[in-house]
Amino acid sequence: MQRLFNIIRLFKEYVVFALLLFLSLGILSLNDNRQIRAIRSYTVGLIGFTQNAFSIIPNVLQLREENRVLRQLNVNLTDEVSRLREARIENMRLRSMLKMKDRSVFRLVAADVVGKSLQLMRNTITIDVGTAQGVEPDMAIISPGGLVGRVISSSRNYSVGQIILNKDFRASALVERSRVDCIVVWSGIGQTVHLKNIAKKQDVRFGDVVVTSGYSGLYPPDIVIGTVSAVTETPGSLFKDADVTLSTDFSTLEQAFVILQKPDPERMQLEQKTTGAR
Amino acid sequence: MKKSFSFAGISLLLIAVQTTAIHLLNLEGVIPDLLSIWVVYIALTEGQMEAMLWGFAVGLMLDLTAQDFIGLSTLTKMLCGFLAGYFYNENKTQIVLGSYRFILIVFIVTFVQNVVYFVVFTQGSEINLLHAVVQYGLTTTLYTAIVTTFPVFLFSRRSPI
Repeated sequence: MQRLFNIIRLFKEYVVFALLLFLSLGILSLNDNRQIRAIRSYTVGLIGFTQNAFSIIPNVLQLREENRVLRQLNVNLTDEVSRLREARIENMRLRSMLKMKDRSVFRLVAADVVGKSLQLMRNTITIDVGTAQGVEPDMAIISPGGLVGRVISSSRNYSVGQIILNKDFRASALVERSRVDCIVVWSGIGQTVHLKNIAKKQDVRFGDVVVTSGYSGLYPPDIVIGTVSAVTETPGSLFKDADVTLSTDFSTLEQAFVILQKPDPERMQLEQKTTGAR
Repeated sequence: MKKSFSFAGISLLLIAVQTTAIHLLNLEGVIPDLLSIWVVYIALTEGQMEAMLWGFAVGLMLDLTAQDFIGLSTLTKMLCGFLAGYFYNENKTQIVLGSYRFILIVFIVTFVQNVVYFVVFTQGSEINLLHAVVQYGLTTTLYTAIVTTFPVFLFSRRSPI
């Protein structure tokens, strides 16, 4: 402290000069004329320039705070991007469903898939439409991709659907190109089904599109089931097998339509009575 | 203390003259700056510190009297005392006061003071700084330096040399 006083005493003229200068400028700044306004303007410009010049020197505390804010912003934006992406995908899916609904000749009711059991041999889905919307058992369920399955039970607002990936599923189908009849069954593994009862001489090729035939009465005709991905001929057998890759991706299935059309009960009753088949 | 009262009295008298009777010496709009001569005199006889304080006080009083641009004379007269203080030499005070050096010091200090004055005064206006300094600053400085010859003449007569 004594040293400080000594320094001040040594430079007392300069200290007093600085004080008087400060006082003089203070008194000057009390004026509100054009000169002082101009000087204020220059001063603001000078301070801005100085701040700008020194802004290249990083301020650690400020940087830390800025980093924190940016990190938070990044999290928020990432979250928003994710939600937007989801909305975009949903939008695309809904648009595609809307197009399908427009061109469909059937009366359709849209449904959200609210439950799935894709792990078991008896795979089913639960959809959020029921008898209140006119949905009843044995109505076909479709998606923009193609056939999904059929309704097996309904409550007022929900229905359970048996999907193609179910060991009890059977559908009468035909190869669109060659009009070969066959039956579609699920092998129990993956998302591939088999075409059964194809005679060796019948024309089934890789890439052929398989659609419902409408013979069984359960599913309306010409609903796409999938595409032939492999044809296997077993030596000594009269028939050949074909694998069909389904056009509906059940792992991403979120929306579906129920065709509000029931099989003709008289026909079903007669066929059941005669053959026991459905 | 007695000296302080004398300085205060002389200061007030000079302020009165500077703001009133000085117009009798008006030459084409240019008047001598008696207060600058006074502040330089204080600097040469009492030193830098006293000159700054008296310069500040005299300038403030002049500003309050003129009510024009408060603080500007305070700043310039204080600066005048600060600069003139560099020429203070305790042992040669009378010699300096009675010679051309006094005139020269007054000239330098008044010129610097006028430059500062016009730098502030011309801000925000269309007046050219160089033009103002040459037309008013330099002429006032010259006039003030010429007027300084009277005290120099008086001091030279009292000088022991």
